[in-house]
Amino acid sequence: MLRVMSRRGDDRVTWDEQKVLAGESDAVAAVREAEKIFAQERAKGATAFKVETGKPIQRIEQFDATAEQIVMVPRVVGG
Amino acid sequence: MNLITQVLTILCWVVIALAITPMVWFVLQPYLRGWSRAERRASDLLRDILTPEQLRQLIWRGYLEIPSPSEPQRVYRVPRTKGYVQVLENGRATMRLCVQPVECLPDADIVLLHKLMIEANEENYLQKANKYICID
Repeated sequence: MLRVMSRRGDDRVTWDEQKVLAGESDAVAAVREAEKIFAQERAKGATAFKVETGKPIQRIEQFDATAEQIVMVPRVVGG
Repeated sequence: MNLITQVLTILCWVVIALAITPMVWFVLQPYLRGWSRAERRASDLLRDILTPEQLRQLIWRGYLEIPSPSEPQRVYRVPRTKGYVQVLENGRATMRLCVQPVECLPDADIVLLHKLMIEANEENYLQKANKYICID
């Protein structure tokens, strides 16, 4: 799942990894959409974090379709 | 005469109601905001990622304590609502940090933003933050 923080709360794109591996068109399209959003947000300066149950949070530079959850936060500045 | 008195009474009540409305709105606004769709979605995300203990701390104490991944004696205290992040070293406040997103986010998302950045990217987080040293 890709979750992008925004003023609306968070925007989500979900996909089923098994269906992606099986080549189901809807699942593949969802992953492509998530990948596109990931790239757009990174270009705007957002940071991406891979969040998985029981594992330390990890900052990622590349989209990871196998991640349980990717959370993207907008660019931050000192206030 | 009776009609004039009634009209004046109604007008008085209207004026009082108009004067009170902004005050009532000011008092209720934080509670109503909490129920907005964006806040609900942000709270869901926060609940998904925080442990039950962290969530309890945030609700009951009004802040979330995040241990530093690099310095065992350091803890970051993130407030539930907007405000400075306190840095505690061996239990004593040493610094206040101000880091904010360029986009307006619900409060719950801001708490999570601090947690993610501190746990996964502490060095970069400290570089970006404006620091205010606490002097005893």
